[in-house]
Amino acid sequence: MKKTGWYLALSALFLLMSASPVLSQARAKKKAMRDMEAFRYEIECVGTGVEGTYLIKVWTYSKKPKVAIEQSKKNAVHGVIFKGFAGGGRGCTSQKPLASSPAVEDEYSEFFDKFFADGGDYMRYVSLSNDGSIDSEDRLKVGKEYKIGVVVSVMKDQLRKDLEKAGIIKALDAGF
Amino acid sequence: MKMRKIFLLFASAILSFGILSGQAKKPTLMVVPSDNWCKQNGFMLKFDNQGTIEELPDYKKALQGSSDLILVIAKISQLMADRGFPCKLLEQELKKLSQESAEDAMLTSKTGSGVAESPIDKLYKSAKADIILQVTWAVNTTGPKKSVTFVLQGIDAYTGKQIASASGTGAPSFSAELPVLLEEAVLAHIDNFNNQLQAHFDDMFANGREIIVRIKKFDSWPDDFETEYDGKELGQIIEEWFQNNTVKGRFNTTDATANFMLFEQVRIPLYDANGKAMDARAYLRGLQNYLKNPPYNLTSKLMIKGLGQATLVIGEK
Repeated sequence: MKKTGWYLALSALFLLMSASPVLSQARAKKKAMRDMEAFRYEIECVGTGVEGTYLIKVWTYSKKPKVAIEQSKKNAVHGVIFKGFAGGGRGCTSQKPLASSPAVEDEYSEFFDKFFADGGDYMRYVSLSNDGSIDSEDRLKVGKEYKIGVVVSVMKDQLRKDLEKAGIIKALDAGF
Repeated sequence: MKMRKIFLLFASAILSFGILSGQAKKPTLMVVPSDNWCKQNGFMLKFDNQGTIEELPDYKKALQGSSDLILVIAKISQLMADRGFPCKLLEQELKKLSQESAEDAMLTSKTGSGVAESPIDKLYKSAKADIILQVTWAVNTTGPKKSVTFVLQGIDAYTGKQIASASGTGAPSFSAELPVLLEEAVLAHIDNFNNQLQAHFDDMFANGREIIVRIKKFDSWPDDFETEYDGKELGQIIEEWFQNNTVKGRFNTTDATANFMLFEQVRIPLYDANGKAMDARAYLRGLQNYLKNPPYNLTSKLMIKGLGQATLVIGEK
């Protein structure tokens, strides 16, 4: 009887230990999503992308660099829809967000919850421009977390067309 | 019999829905090089205007002489078509005009009559669109590096107002050729330009289309705009009509004399009472009919320039 109790306690401990990284990863993901919703990320223009795309660098905060890299795709699409980005050097031009106001996110929360879920539709509009490899100067330690800069390409024309179809944003020729 | 009634009811419901949900008249767009660009690149036409030498942009020469211009026009037109606004092509418009005038010159009826054309008809025959997209660019050279400063302006052809613009200088490059830099410039600026165009359309849907109205009189008409009807001057009566028939009563009486009245920033509704799309012509026809009725009994001639400019000349047809 005593032996069985020991076995049970040991296997529970083992399970807890093996689940701990998974749980912490899940916590980091949740935190990253909350940061995205609070617009806690930065976008800068990298250059003029090929036709129909924006080439941008997204700075994402997370304790886990892997989570930050994955989250940067969501942040890039989120930023193109709701935040826009400033121009600056390299011939970059400031771009306004696709949505007319940030309130659109709350107004269509059901749509955007699904859209930005893991494996959601946002994936169709974004690609990492350098296969996810991060330059050393784009990996910064800020306090207890990392600030990771990832260059991504967002297919803004296709994204805009699909949001217009879904009735989230207004088409230029709407009403004519 | 019953089935037929139901069918008729359905048909009329669909028809009335079609009319009531009518869409606003879509403005036409055309990409045109600016006068400044034409002058800098030597595409000007000199002519003697009663002793004064004047210069006008020679679009035909520009289109035949500059491949870069063709590229910029084609790129902007393609991107605008993607957003639901296919542009009129300047080159095709010019060709159409010359072909039309050649056809008109040759056209005769069986009895030998030619096509009627008044001097004003001739004057109005020019390549035109409701919104002109005017492009200007300059190449900046610093040592071996080249960059392009690009300006795109959207101008309402009738009010002359700039309704959208985007401009900037691209990244300097050692190796990129001019067409590549120009294409990059168009791609970099088109979204900002379209955002402003969208704001202009939003304002138009909220506050009505902005037009310009001129009211004139034929000199054969013995009265003028100071003639009184029931104690009110005709000019005042016309102003009251605008007050009652503009969106939120918005219009400016810019000029008012005994012989001429100019109304600017006249905001007209996009649809009439039947839900049909409205333009300057349809709008001013309302005033024409109003003045035709007693106690005024005035005959007038209505002329238009595109969607946004109309002139009513009182006294004759």
